[in-house]
Amino acid sequence: MKRISYILMLFIGFGLTQTLSAQDEITPERKRAIDSLAMEKIRDLGKYISIIGSKETPFSEAKRVIDRTLELFVDDAQMGVSSLSREEIKYYPVREYLERLMLLNYDNVTIQWFNIQYISDLELQPDGKYVGVITIYQRFEGTSDDGLVYKDTTKKDITVYVERKETQIGGKLIGFWDVLLGDVRVIETMK
Amino acid sequence: MKLHFFLLLPVCIAMADLHAQSIGEGIEDERALYAETKQVNQFLRRFNGEENVQGERYYPEDRQYHNRRLRKKYLPILFNLENDILTQELKEEFIDLVTDRKDPKYLAFHGGDWIAELKTLFTHKGQDKEMTLFLKLQEEKVGSKWIIDHIYFEPFTRAFNPPDTNIFNDKEFLHPLSHEVGFMNIFRLFNKPDSLEYYAAKNYTPDYLTLFLYEIKKGNLKFKTVAGLKFHFFQIDDWYFELSYFNRSGYNTGWLISNLMKIGPEDKKILMKYIYHE
Repeated sequence: MKRISYILMLFIGFGLTQTLSAQDEITPERKRAIDSLAMEKIRDLGKYISIIGSKETPFSEAKRVIDRTLELFVDDAQMGVSSLSREEIKYYPVREYLERLMLLNYDNVTIQWFNIQYISDLELQPDGKYVGVITIYQRFEGTSDDGLVYKDTTKKDITVYVERKETQIGGKLIGFWDVLLGDVRVIETMK
Repeated sequence: MKLHFFLLLPVCIAMADLHAQSIGEGIEDERALYAETKQVNQFLRRFNGEENVQGERYYPEDRQYHNRRLRKKYLPILFNLENDILTQELKEEFIDLVTDRKDPKYLAFHGGDWIAELKTLFTHKGQDKEMTLFLKLQEEKVGSKWIIDHIYFEPFTRAFNPPDTNIFNDKEFLHPLSHEVGFMNIFRLFNKPDSLEYYAAKNYTPDYLTLFLYEIKKGNLKFKTVAGLKFHFFQIDDWYFELSYFNRSGYNTGWLISNLMKIGPEDKKILMKYIYHE
């Protein structure tokens, strides 16, 4: 359902009825529309992470939201996590990362998102898809029952794949841009 | 140096202030996050004067695109201000050059002459070992991609250390009539692995990248993780700079110039050899 709404958004945004071509130029206007579509997915990701991490979310609901979150990503996307004390990256498949978040042993978890983002240029890959990176920041606060508080702020560099696709509506080929998330680099920032 | 940082601080904070929004006690953090040069892409845009202080992109049709005054404001804060090796004079000379009214210089993502130096960890013979990969952006028929151009791996380099010329120089060779005895004497080469290089051509150099690929294919090297990244830029004629990521508190953070040198054409070759550990 969500995906359909994204696709519709792009139809409205561009009114595209061109034939598919890997070389389609991304004009500044189109880039802005793709950026806002990508940001909508990132906001969904943020919302889902907050739900999954919340202690008030029932287990079954959290599992359902994990499945929804995975729909935002390409297959095999990885979360690469490093900490202030360890620059080396630890890799987690997205599902595992989310499941670990769900199972964190805190009595209260607060996840907040800074209203800051940085959106890179889109670059064309050899397979004809475009790739970009969106940087966002998240603050995590977990409190255990004995009152201990763990806090961190992480920078998340999220890969975004943008692909020109086409679909048939009423016998007419309609082109549209689809956006999926890819690998995410998670860096713990200096507190 | 510290004094200079404080002189620039208002610029950093001004950039941050425009969008500072409070989430609880996080306002200070948020200002710093705005000031941070978050991606290499943002470094290029700030260097070139292709975004405003809110981080919104300027396009060629925008009046402020490549604006000299904007660049003059951005460029000083794109240096690591906690590095005393970067002298004020050198930075000013560089900034004056790239913002020259008649012949300004810009960086280009697809401009070539920049390489990534990626520190990685591999398991080799049961031990974790650091491996440095040097990557370049390669243009393709469609789009572009990063490719591994060089590697540095200490065990490989050690194995191919040039042999001691004093010992082997005039003793290790296949005599010129070896062919007449069907090269039966070639067995002697393999009794002394240390001097094997003397039986190769004068201009022989080991190809560590091939060795690296071979060892991975044979299962002797296993990738573990990435552990650090920096970039070397040679795009500005007669200059070299290094770009590193600074994850620290404050307003001078993210991707910043960590080293700057004025170089001649010969120096570039020497510097490249130094970077590649050759």
